[in-house]
Amino acid sequence: MQTSKKIVILGHFGVGKTSLIRRFVEDSFSDNYKVSIGVHITKKVVEIAAGDSMSLILWDLEGTDDLETIRNSYLLGTHGVIFVFDVTRPSTFQNINTDLKIVTEKLPNIPLLVIGNKTDLVVIKELEELLNKNQISTDFLTSAKTGDAVNDVFLKLVNQLNGAT
Amino acid sequence: MELLNKYKKSYTNNDIQFVFVNDSRVILESDQAFLKLTIGDFIYNTHPFFECLHALENTPEEETTFNCVHLNIHDKEYTTDIKIIKKIDGILLVLHNLTQHYLTYQSIAQSRNESIINGELIILKNSELEERERFKNSFIQNFSHELRNPLTNIISITNIIANTELTGEQKNMINFLRESNANLKLMLEDILSISMIASGKLQLRNKEFNIYELFNLLRFTYGAKAKEKGLEFTLTSDIKIPEYVEGDYLRIYQILTNLLDNAFKYTQDGSINFNIELNQKRANKVSLRFKISDTGIGIPQEKLATVFNSFTQLKTAEQQNGNGLGLAIVKGLLQQMESDIKVHSKLNRGSTFYFDIVLKYPLHPTIKPDIKEKKYKHKEEGKFKVLLVEDDIHLQTTLFKILINTEVFFVDLINDGAKVIEELVNNSYDIILMDINLPNLSGDKITHAIREFPFKNIKKIPIIGLTANAYEDDIKAYLKAGMNAVVPKPFDHDVLLKTMFKYLK
Repeated sequence: MQTSKKIVILGHFGVGKTSLIRRFVEDSFSDNYKVSIGVHITKKVVEIAAGDSMSLILWDLEGTDDLETIRNSYLLGTHGVIFVFDVTRPSTFQNINTDLKIVTEKLPNIPLLVIGNKTDLVVIKELEELLNKNQISTDFLTSAKTGDAVNDVFLKLVNQLNGAT
Repeated sequence: MELLNKYKKSYTNNDIQFVFVNDSRVILESDQAFLKLTIGDFIYNTHPFFECLHALENTPEEETTFNCVHLNIHDKEYTTDIKIIKKIDGILLVLHNLTQHYLTYQSIAQSRNESIINGELIILKNSELEERERFKNSFIQNFSHELRNPLTNIISITNIIANTELTGEQKNMINFLRESNANLKLMLEDILSISMIASGKLQLRNKEFNIYELFNLLRFTYGAKAKEKGLEFTLTSDIKIPEYVEGDYLRIYQILTNLLDNAFKYTQDGSINFNIELNQKRANKVSLRFKISDTGIGIPQEKLATVFNSFTQLKTAEQQNGNGLGLAIVKGLLQQMESDIKVHSKLNRGSTFYFDIVLKYPLHPTIKPDIKEKKYKHKEEGKFKVLLVEDDIHLQTTLFKILINTEVFFVDLINDGAKVIEELVNNSYDIILMDINLPNLSGDKITHAIREFPFKNIKKIPIIGLTANAYEDDIKAYLKAGMNAVVPKPFDHDVLLKTMFKYLK
């Protein structure tokens, strides 16, 4: 049996949302930064048990520093959210609590994962200290470039969505 | 209208596509304007976007629009606005192909986002560099502070030994030791200067001084040095330069000696010429050009740009000494004076360094002739009583010896800040030598307490601060606390004694 779930990937521009999806779907990475506008939709089927699979419809939304401006139509029928920030750019996480409040208001009662991406560019210990200092808690610290923890993000979300069905 | 409709159709038809699907999401009709869809196929199979139709079933809206949706169909990407309209017998999809329009938008967004991200990264990089610079300066300041106490001991004990009876060989060794001490002290001061310049802590102390006395001092010092090295040295100055000017004498002296030392270091034969020209005199201000030329090894063109950076040296087999800070200090000091240094150089022909500085010149000089202190004046009824407040055991010994050797002091020693006031109440002193970093109570706090004391004989005792915290701000704070003078470590015997006698009656 196959179920279908819509996942939206949100966050400021340039944080690596498209790269995370590309790493998860195609297992590839490009250093060239191409700005995403509007929405790109990709599908990946994940096996969750023998004979059971989940079709993830990944909505890669245009990055914005004002989440209030996201078009509501993009969010219709969303089952899960991944919020991504760039660990090297404080501007993408300094207002994270406000950003997450907006997300949970727009998309209440659905699984939400918070991801700090581009960990290949920092020293993890220093990053953890910085995040602790700023009281920022994350579900995963990832690197789309190296692939570090990328699959774990989606698998965790799949498990949460599977539990919810 | 028939003609117009015909042309209108040719421009619009290919960009707007109408598709009708039934409630089971099977494609019933499509005008195939730009997407070739298979009639009878599930619309879900065309692109995952259309799976959203399922979610729309439960929404009250009859019509929903999705802007800027990227559809990759048959290996071609379209960027479209999609309108989904609920009808009684199914769903009407209106797809508007706006690929060209969104390409333009994408290119604008690309430039804007890249520029914002680059700006953020530059700011972050700068703050990281500033943080490193702060760490470096603070490290240098702390390190040089720690070096001052042992260096004071070395210099002082060398001087004490030099005043004892020595054999010829011992005298030579002491002279060598003295020279090494002087070099070490100079290097320490250079490092401190550069860190103060870099951290913005260096403040100029402008005072009136006789500039011709400075020229004479340099002429004498470097004339002798030139003779020793077999070089020719000339110092010429414009006679219209006013005798008295206002500026930071010590820093100007530091700039000139650094440049002259540099010229001597890299010149093995020929001459060194130091010329001071008058650029202009206007409204109590005089602009002077200082120019130092040598016939030394010169600087390769590719190194001219970095010659003023810290720790830069022109390495030759013979010239390996120095710390490479001299020219960086010169540049930093001149920037403080709102000036800049320039250099012309030819390899193996020599170099010319020059800069302009503007100094005030008083029309009515206020300097009084310098009355020299009599060396070691004696108290009429005996010896002066000194309270030495110092916790460093080596410095205690050194200072004790310096003071006792003059034969004009009795010295009492205290190493605990908290016991000073009690000592002053029980004994009378002519002067106090006060360290700053003391156990229990710091020297500046004790000084403040003494100046607040109700008994005049205690309140008025001269206090000379001894400190390794040689920064302008620190010294100002100690003077504000009530110290009469502050002698930075490492200090010279004569400077210390001269300062003490200035305040002894």
